[in-house]
Amino acid sequence: MNIGKELNYQWQVNVLGRSALRLNRILMARKAGKGQLGKSRLLTPPLNTSIWTKELIGQHYLRGRYANSHGKVAWVTSGAPIEFLKALDFYLLYPENHGALCGAARAAEGLSIEAEKAGYSRDICSYARTDIGAMLSGKTPVGRLPKPDLLLACTNICQTVLHWYRVLAHHFQVPLILIDTPFIYTEMTDHAVAFVKAQLEEAIIVAEKVAGKPLDPRRFKEVTRLSMLASELWLELLRRNRHRPAPISVFDQFTQMAPIVEMRGEASTVDLYAAMLKEVDQRIEQGIGVVPEERLRLLWDNLPVWYRLRYLAEFLGAHGAVIVASTYTNAWAELGPQMDPEHPMESMARTYMYPILNRGTGEKLATMRQMIQDYHLDGAILHSDRSCKPYSVGQMDQRDRLMRQDDLPALLLEADHNDPRSYSEEQVANRLTAFMEMLEAA
Amino acid sequence: MQTAAVRIPGRIENILSWKEQGGGIAAVFPIHYPRELLRAFGYLPVEVWGPPVVESVSSAAHVQPYVCSIVRNGLSFLQSGGLELADILLVPHACDSLQGLGSLLLDFIHPRQPTLTLYLPRGRRESDLSFLAQELHALYRRLAEIHGDSPTEPELMSSIRREEAADASLAQLHRQRSRLPLSDLAFYQLIRSREYLPAERFSQLASEALDQAGPITERGIPLLLSGIVPEPMALLNLIPELGGWVAADDLASCGRRLYPAGTSQDPFLRMAERIIHAPPDPTRGSSIESRHQHLLSLAAESGARGVVFHDVKFCEPELFDLPDLRRQLAESGLPSLLLEVDLNDPLSHQLHTRLQAFLEMIV
Repeated sequence: MNIGKELNYQWQVNVLGRSALRLNRILMARKAGKGQLGKSRLLTPPLNTSIWTKELIGQHYLRGRYANSHGKVAWVTSGAPIEFLKALDFYLLYPENHGALCGAARAAEGLSIEAEKAGYSRDICSYARTDIGAMLSGKTPVGRLPKPDLLLACTNICQTVLHWYRVLAHHFQVPLILIDTPFIYTEMTDHAVAFVKAQLEEAIIVAEKVAGKPLDPRRFKEVTRLSMLASELWLELLRRNRHRPAPISVFDQFTQMAPIVEMRGEASTVDLYAAMLKEVDQRIEQGIGVVPEERLRLLWDNLPVWYRLRYLAEFLGAHGAVIVASTYTNAWAELGPQMDPEHPMESMARTYMYPILNRGTGEKLATMRQMIQDYHLDGAILHSDRSCKPYSVGQMDQRDRLMRQDDLPALLLEADHNDPRSYSEEQVANRLTAFMEMLEAA
Repeated sequence: MQTAAVRIPGRIENILSWKEQGGGIAAVFPIHYPRELLRAFGYLPVEVWGPPVVESVSSAAHVQPYVCSIVRNGLSFLQSGGLELADILLVPHACDSLQGLGSLLLDFIHPRQPTLTLYLPRGRRESDLSFLAQELHALYRRLAEIHGDSPTEPELMSSIRREEAADASLAQLHRQRSRLPLSDLAFYQLIRSREYLPAERFSQLASEALDQAGPITERGIPLLLSGIVPEPMALLNLIPELGGWVAADDLASCGRRLYPAGTSQDPFLRMAERIIHAPPDPTRGSSIESRHQHLLSLAAESGARGVVFHDVKFCEPELFDLPDLRRQLAESGLPSLLLEVDLNDPLSHQLHTRLQAFLEMIV
């Protein structure tokens, strides 16, 4: 270890950075106390714990900025089994989350253009274009991204990541671990589970080599336990929206979900969600909902439209409509009950084959139907996301079944999760207006 | 240039003849699958690569317009009765869109025929081989349920050897193409008959064509054609018209399916070996570097002076690799051209001009 670099890391991250982020948290808390945080006449103020989330995410990217001088770095996909990497003390960067952050910060279009200038087609995923653009240009709203020593791609969310991470491996010339999770058309077969387990065993050997140390089984179990706890708390948090009025909108969940995705396996994530759950419970006790008068409760399917979260929340809020459940935020909540810290390898294989995107289109409809029942929903908005084929293919039939068999109004909304060039506000507004009129008339 | 002196039976004629003999038909979507397994159950695999120029309205009720035309057309073709003669459907996993198609058929569309799926692993590791062998065994069990009977191990091995022989003939045709008196179009009509002819019939046709091999003839600027499928086939007339010829290919429907013979005496492992050890293919997770080396080697063997990437719009597996692949090929002295098509569109004048300019550049 280079002592000078390590001292610089500690100074920048744990002294200067931490103090700056804490100061920012205090200032924001003061603002929240005066009712000036996220001021909107249509929506209730965001959760106070959202300030904490922001601080955690800030710390995460701050650590990332100096991570190469401190230890080993792995870039991983959002649904990857990261517990063994965490236990080996890798700093984990999630390019998809970084892509989402760029989308919310309205930086994705410019970065996509950087990728397109290098020859990447506009027909590939906009997360991938955003991150490849950041990789090629060195531009990012978070200052600087650390270079990876290792890549981990898991196909449980899409095949896109397989191709995307091949590009990253080619660019950075570092080992790529592939965890190939066979798609579950009808049932999870034993040979598929054995296949994923065998890959995890092979992956640990590669990761240990890059980390330069063996995996400590106790630490592995502990990280798995923390992942499970965070996921279970996240599930509880989402379930609180079964109450009327719903205490936290899905648009808020989209921003509050960052730690469950990119900081799984950390104690601070468990603490954050425990505090958030407490605050949500207080809101329920006080009868505080997302909008002053909740009239319509809706489902959101697919990724968010990152660059128009607030617009969409307020547009719906103006009609007393709240998105209270989402198949997307639920994806990380479903992981917890599958995990078993006492048998991390076995449970990991099953857990990471289980995400909604690795199961059939009929399974997604079943999940939606369960949510409609559990959350007492009046309608569904299915975001047909040009950039995400595995999430979007099937939506036309799912919508058709919801409308015909469940008598539930459902709208297919054309957009793209990160590229505003594939989003037409006028068309979206027209379609949403008509949908609201239909729901209000029902 | 002469055209094929061998008569290639048409798809329908071949299907009807097979059915008259009491055989079944398996309609198979792209890309990789074990022909030998289907044949061992008496099903003749007939592949569905689109097909091109299909009225795609019916699939528009199920898939979005940003899904590739191979999936859209295949589904429309099925829904308009184009696959009525098929007894079973097989949708191998190749990408997110074909995954979606398989799932839609199983969960919502429910075609008359049983729908089978097959997951293909994305690596070449021991674990991939072992998984694929088990996946093929699961497909075997499913076919046995549908068929009511199942082939013995020797029958399976015999079927494998028959397909291995046909694949050896196919590889020979690829290697000998510069000696064959066939135009580009005729050559591809011949090798693409592997998509629907019984292996033994294809081997016979290949042998007849190979008997006509003569000395190497100069026939234009040699090109390497890469991509998914050579559709519209008019491209294969346009290339010679503009002074080029297809000297080799890296097409998912053609050159990437030159399956080598297996070595294992276990039929399932042997079928898995054949697929796992096929030439590099992004849909099976091949690295960009392995694809680069493969293209360089194809160009060196065939004398190709440039690569034409002929891709179907919205095909992510192809599109991701292209920037790095093209840059590396250029650094290796092999220029390339990217043409994107939709199976329902005719060849545009713009495509004509770009191809012409590319050929002028590399002449």
